[in-house]
Amino acid sequence: MNFVKKIFEEKEKKFLLFDSAMGTTLQKMGLKAGEIPELFNFTHSDIIFDIHKQNIEAGSDIIITNTFGANEIKLKGCQYSVEDIVHKAVSLARKAAGKKYVALDLGPTGQLLEPLGSLKFEQAYDLYKRQVLAGVDAGVDLILIETISDLYEAKAAILAAKENSNLPVFCTMTFDQNGRTLTGTDPITMVNVLEGLGVDVIGLNCSLGPKEILPIVNEILKYAKIPVMVQPNAGLPEYVDGETVFNVSPEEFATVMVEIAKKGVRILGGCCGTTPEFIVKLHEELKDIDPAVPKPISYTCACSSTKTIIFNKNQPKIIGERINPTGNKNIKNALIDQDYGAIINEAIVQKEAGADVLDVNIGLLEIDEPVTMVKIIKELQGIIDIPLQIDSANFEALEAGARVFNGKPILNSVTGKKEHMEQIFPIVKKYGTCVIGLTMDERGLPKSIEQRVEIAEKIIKTANQYGIHKNNILIDCLVLTASTHQDQVLKSLKAMQIIKQKFGVTTVLGASNISFGLPHRDLINQTFLAMALTYGLDAPITDPLIPEIIETISAYRVLSDIDKNAEDFISRYSNKQSEKLLPKEKTKESLSNIIIKGLLNQVEQKTLELLKDTQPLSIIDNHLIPSLDIVGDMYDSGDIFLPQLIRSAETVKKAFKIIKSNMPQEQEKALSKGKILLATVAGDVHDIGKNIVKVLLENYGFNVIDLGKDVPIDSIVSTCIEQNIKLVGLSALMTPTVENMKKTIEKLQKSDNECKIMVGGAVLNEKYAKIINADYYGKDAREAVNIAKKFFQKN
Amino acid sequence: MSIKINKKEVLRYLGGTAKNNDNLTDRLIDECIGEIKEISVPKSQFRIFDIKKNQNNIKILNSILILKGKDIIKYLIYSKKVAIMAVTLGIQVDQRIKYYTNIDLTKAVIFDACATTYIEAISDNLESDIKEIANQSNCNLTFRFSPGYGDFSLVVQDNILKVLNSSRIIGLTVSNEHILIPSKSVTAIIGFEDKSKKKPTGKVQKRIDNEKCKTCLRYKNCIYLQEGTFCEFRKKNL
Repeated sequence: MNFVKKIFEEKEKKFLLFDSAMGTTLQKMGLKAGEIPELFNFTHSDIIFDIHKQNIEAGSDIIITNTFGANEIKLKGCQYSVEDIVHKAVSLARKAAGKKYVALDLGPTGQLLEPLGSLKFEQAYDLYKRQVLAGVDAGVDLILIETISDLYEAKAAILAAKENSNLPVFCTMTFDQNGRTLTGTDPITMVNVLEGLGVDVIGLNCSLGPKEILPIVNEILKYAKIPVMVQPNAGLPEYVDGETVFNVSPEEFATVMVEIAKKGVRILGGCCGTTPEFIVKLHEELKDIDPAVPKPISYTCACSSTKTIIFNKNQPKIIGERINPTGNKNIKNALIDQDYGAIINEAIVQKEAGADVLDVNIGLLEIDEPVTMVKIIKELQGIIDIPLQIDSANFEALEAGARVFNGKPILNSVTGKKEHMEQIFPIVKKYGTCVIGLTMDERGLPKSIEQRVEIAEKIIKTANQYGIHKNNILIDCLVLTASTHQDQVLKSLKAMQIIKQKFGVTTVLGASNISFGLPHRDLINQTFLAMALTYGLDAPITDPLIPEIIETISAYRVLSDIDKNAEDFISRYSNKQSEKLLPKEKTKESLSNIIIKGLLNQVEQKTLELLKDTQPLSIIDNHLIPSLDIVGDMYDSGDIFLPQLIRSAETVKKAFKIIKSNMPQEQEKALSKGKILLATVAGDVHDIGKNIVKVLLENYGFNVIDLGKDVPIDSIVSTCIEQNIKLVGLSALMTPTVENMKKTIEKLQKSDNECKIMVGGAVLNEKYAKIINADYYGKDAREAVNIAKKFFQKN
Repeated sequence: MSIKINKKEVLRYLGGTAKNNDNLTDRLIDECIGEIKEISVPKSQFRIFDIKKNQNNIKILNSILILKGKDIIKYLIYSKKVAIMAVTLGIQVDQRIKYYTNIDLTKAVIFDACATTYIEAISDNLESDIKEIANQSNCNLTFRFSPGYGDFSLVVQDNILKVLNSSRIIGLTVSNEHILIPSKSVTAIIGFEDKSKKKPTGKVQKRIDNEKCKTCLRYKNCIYLQEGTFCEFRKKNL
């Protein structure tokens, strides 16, 4: 039986009380601003012991060790190790606790995680692992992960706790008054992701007072199936003359906390500004209260770190299928070249088109799938705020993806094969994901409706044995193409209907392959989608860029009486024709004018027009490049400014893309004026400048290999060698990272690959560039183009 | 927080003028201003400390912070107290800039400039709160001085954030290279100078309206310009 259940049921305890604040108390006791609070375990062990003791006497059942910041990052430069501090802190708490419980406190790492911050997920895991191991060794009773703002950090901490101990794990996050954490996670997402990871208790602490925290508690209780804990501050912090004060009294605090308890919260305590007096009051007030039993709602959902997508029939959800190398040359090349721009782009356009979830399939023989899956998921979740569906036949890739995904993903997929379920279900359980169950097994594809239903049942029942609730299973009744398996189409749909009714699970279906081998595929797809929705499909896996998909769903919602009075439909379509019928904007402008004015929406048509009777190369040399030169001169003379320059450059980029796609591949290669590697150096996260340089260089026909920002020195050097790069462009915006630029240059010059280096960025100048031994200095993107032109003319 | 993003300032960051601005860009700026207001989660904080000065450094009392460097010492020469402040727009802004960088570089650049303008405006706003406190104790404020100005090393960011407990209170963190994350953030030191004490009047305290300096992020609050000189960066670069 789990820890909390045991206390509530066996020991018949109604409530479990945590203690009051440590940090703010220490400040009152003389902790200097910025000083490491954990040092007090050694320098003022009597004070720490006293605080613990007072809390125990006040009625706390669990006290928290003074180890909130005891991680390698926060202890940098401190004379004590993580282990020293954890051991000392636990021994003080244990001495005070007597028979009560001691919780190992784990606070945030203090750094922001990738991709927006610089701390890697794996590094965060290692930081927590070290604390957990020390805590286990010191003999704590449970682990409390608290005051976390970043869901990703919570995930790293929970995995570290669960993989390195058998202790109960409690996790509380801290919310802003806007109802989200500082990194944007909302309560429903927190509940789904953390519960999925298998914590024993979830909840809230810090930031807000009991009154302000109440609405968030309500939200959490709506969804949480595990016990909830709440540790608010003694009111909202107020700033008086630059000092923080908390104004809620122990009495007021206890009054609101009783209200919270009556709603079904059974684990309570205090955060910043609270003292043992608060616990005394709380303890008293709770004596005559009987705990309520919350009734969470039941549903199927997937989550990113900031968004939860709930599947329900009233609003079918679209799972975008376009990130898949099969049949998509751009994705395939991106995977092989490890330049993931095209994949990010594919993700963004699908999201903008209305996808609710994105399927990520990177199955290619040429790549290491688990490694690449991790890289791509990390890239995508930094940019896209919708959940991902990790799609692979390689279960190591599925696990690697599930581990690093910041949210609750869907795994695609498991079948009814025994061996397959044995491999996949442990991953689903451990990482709290959803999984798509395909109705096929050792016998192959079923021919009858009954067999499909039977396999679905087997999948749902077997999952249950692994502790996976049917809410986390989405059944796919597998539709093959109508041209080869015409008799099976309706059977699949009917089976889906029965499975949905019988087991109450969510359903998905691939909705694009049905038309393979037939003419007028769009019509077949559209009709099939309408049929499938009628049979109870919750989420088609399809191409959201086809306007008819969204249109069909909108129409379906009217005809099935979901969209009442057709309100959504009318607001969407009353003033609009079908998107396909909209005429493309005609233009009388010359290509040159289109570029100079940056008329992005006219460039496609004009370029295609020219291509009819002009050689691609001639368009580039006689239209694109001269126009760009004019734009550049206008920029230099101040007639236009940066946004206009970039818009022109983006216009040329679009023209280039069209020209390239209309050229045979061997000619395409001849287009390149030279290959240039670009990177923002290690430690530097500012890359807008580099991106401007990139687009201009590409405009002039250079082939740019963009390694992105915060690029380690070794990876720049090795790429240069592998790809035989002769010109490298490095950028740095901040003074401290110029040091890394210098080191990168040194290493490049020592390497076997002979190359020249141009540098740029806000902190550099001609003289400084020379000091760090760069070959060229470019003050702006235009200058970078001139350097590249001259360089490749000479070489 | 209802603080205005001044469009003129945005244009200035982008190198634009009333003359070369066009409708499309103008509209994009409006759009970005609206969007930043919607998605950002601005947070600010400050604390006031007594200080103890000697020739080599300035100790921030009752804290672990020691300020080093010729420039900061010179800057706080008449100050008896300091306010240490931190401001951030939140990580959502970084995320959005990254998003636009991938699909619409023009918008990304404009969005970035709007965010910079906003963070400066929020800093100004916080500064005026601090000014009220200074007034009560009969003090004037110096201008904001941030890590990275002159010889005031960025390394100090780490301890500034520790002293303010910024990662916990406003979600502002610092990377191993001492760079603030979220990137649209500011930390600064402001000195409290006694109104009653007369400063030596040798130098002309006049702002030189210098075109070259206008492109600088610190133009409005530049302490060198206040003194009638300019900074090392300009000497080298502009």
